[in-house]
Amino acid sequence: MGKQTWKERVPAFASVLGLLVLIAAYYIVGAVRDANVAYGLKAIVNQSVVVALVATGAVFIYTLGSFDISLGAATGVSALLGAMAYNATGSLAVMFLVCVGVAVALGFINSSLASIFNLPIFVTTVAMMSVLSAFMLILIGWNGAGDTIKVKGRDMRPLDNIPFKVVILVLYIALCWFVFTLLPTGREAKFIGGNPVCARLSGINEKKLGIIASLISAVGIGLGAFLTIIYAPTLTKDTASSIGMDVIIAIVFGGMPVSGGPRSRILSAVVGAFSMGFMTQIMSMLNLGSGYGQMIKAAIFLLVVFIALGSQRGKLLTR
Amino acid sequence: MEQEARKALDVIHADHIQPGIPTALLDLQERKLVEVAKVMVKKPEILVVDENTTALSQKGRELLYQLMDSLKKEGKAVIFISHDLDEIKQVCDTLTVLRDGRIITHFSKENYDDDAIKTSMIGREMQGDYYRADKEPTWQEKVLLQADHLTGSGLQDVSLKIRAGEILGVGGLSECGMHTLGKALFGGAMLTGGTVKTEGKAYSDPRQATRLGVGYVSKERDTESLCQQASIRDNIAIGGLRHIQKKKLILKRRETAYVQKQVDALSIKCRHMEQPVSAMSGGNKQKVVFGKWLGAGSRVLILDCPTRGVDIGVKQSMYQLITKMKNEGKAILIISEEMAELIGMCDRLLVMKDGALQKEFLRGQMNEADIIRCMI
Repeated sequence: MGKQTWKERVPAFASVLGLLVLIAAYYIVGAVRDANVAYGLKAIVNQSVVVALVATGAVFIYTLGSFDISLGAATGVSALLGAMAYNATGSLAVMFLVCVGVAVALGFINSSLASIFNLPIFVTTVAMMSVLSAFMLILIGWNGAGDTIKVKGRDMRPLDNIPFKVVILVLYIALCWFVFTLLPTGREAKFIGGNPVCARLSGINEKKLGIIASLISAVGIGLGAFLTIIYAPTLTKDTASSIGMDVIIAIVFGGMPVSGGPRSRILSAVVGAFSMGFMTQIMSMLNLGSGYGQMIKAAIFLLVVFIALGSQRGKLLTR
Repeated sequence: MEQEARKALDVIHADHIQPGIPTALLDLQERKLVEVAKVMVKKPEILVVDENTTALSQKGRELLYQLMDSLKKEGKAVIFISHDLDEIKQVCDTLTVLRDGRIITHFSKENYDDDAIKTSMIGREMQGDYYRADKEPTWQEKVLLQADHLTGSGLQDVSLKIRAGEILGVGGLSECGMHTLGKALFGGAMLTGGTVKTEGKAYSDPRQATRLGVGYVSKERDTESLCQQASIRDNIAIGGLRHIQKKKLILKRRETAYVQKQVDALSIKCRHMEQPVSAMSGGNKQKVVFGKWLGAGSRVLILDCPTRGVDIGVKQSMYQLITKMKNEGKAILIISEEMAELIGMCDRLLVMKDGALQKEFLRGQMNEADIIRCMI
């Protein structure tokens, strides 16, 4: 039996190649403009790491062909409660545990409701998003100073460094890769996303997979919430509000179909998140106004997706 | 709009289909007829019918044949694509044989010859038996699958047993409930009563059935038995992840060896195992489905229309495979709308009508006329 040709393999790596091109472009533009490349890199990591964490976990949910619209609100609530826990105890460990614990509890509620009422996870996350957004307002009203909840920035400074954030991200990606690639979970999730009826008739437990996916995703949300507090110790009702959309863009940019299924990959999320970070920074170095910058970003986004989905185009529906 | 839809359905004599109801509520045959009606609205000069009859019962087929005939009489052309030799001989004036994407030869109606057509289709003379060679029913004592009083989803108190080394056939008209029975025996149908057991252990859903060694090949291969976007590797391995795992981990090398074994054993034609199954022929797709269950070590196989939409060469290899599985002591249930297949392959044949079992025929005593009488 033969092997895949290079032509067949390219779509799978298009997003990684895209990221490499963006990194090269970043250094070239940096050199031409005489910009502070090291500082810019720090900004890229700070901007991208939270999205990468949340998106990496969300890959499990998207793989199932499902959709979590409450990612931003869940990150926000976890961060607010984590910050409140820190203010009450002064312990970073407690803050970490509260961030992750709250996110896992929310993920468990989401998936359990979906399982009990036999609903798609997406439906329960829509309800959860409204509840959590309201809950954020209530929390800020109870404990905040004005419209914010603050922790002392100097207490967070020891952890607000790139190596710490990168280590957290790498460890979480390693965990997700292990579960997705080396355990049956990933294969079964891809099958459910590809054809839920066939998956059921192949003996796959859809509900169990839904709960596992939500819990793994929740750990990413918790870690994202923790790093959000460290980077921006003043939290508002809008904290992490854009994460839901950023995650979708990152996943698509990373070459994974939002519809999930067999072409889902863990690395898509991190590749997509960092590609977005590099693009933003390049636009900033080129002093492109937000209008031009957005248009160029959109064009590059379409190009990457066009190449990544190359193998899917032109196919007719099956008989 | 509804009136126009009514007219379109009347043109193809599908007057039993209500134009106002959602297509999701129609069965596959009716959906196919709606598809035909939709095409006919455009008054085509050339109509391409690509293997549509595999989804149709005899009545549906007759409707389509009538339509093709009337187009022919109006001086229009029909390109009819099919694997079914009898059907081709019945409806086509000329035949072009394709193999591996190339035109092999042409036949005109007066030159139709079964052997010559089969040889050109598979590229060699057919060797060995097409169906089973033995004429007597045989099986072992041990009951591998037992269903008692299955009721619901159109089934009416259906009970049956399949023994090790037995091929049990279930036949009937398309809507007799036999396809639901297949699903029910796999734990995949909503029942109001009854039990299914394999080797004495009861199960009620596909997950339990799979773990107990029961496999199910659905009639709807493309939508229920395969994940089309997934690779051959993924589709075969998914049934046997338990066998591939070592210390709970799935290692790619073990998985590759597992899939390669099935690809070789079933002679699946493919460029490589990462190839999506959507790019494969019907016969090779079906082999992938078989590979999924055989690799998983299924001792009971429920095969619903196992040779639907596959060419005559693959059909023969499927029959040989089913016979081999019988000889290995597996229990096999074949549900089919093809009488010749049931008579040629089964030790026992159960005829269904209106969701209930009507009569049992033993191998050697199966007579087509008697069976049809029982069905209608």
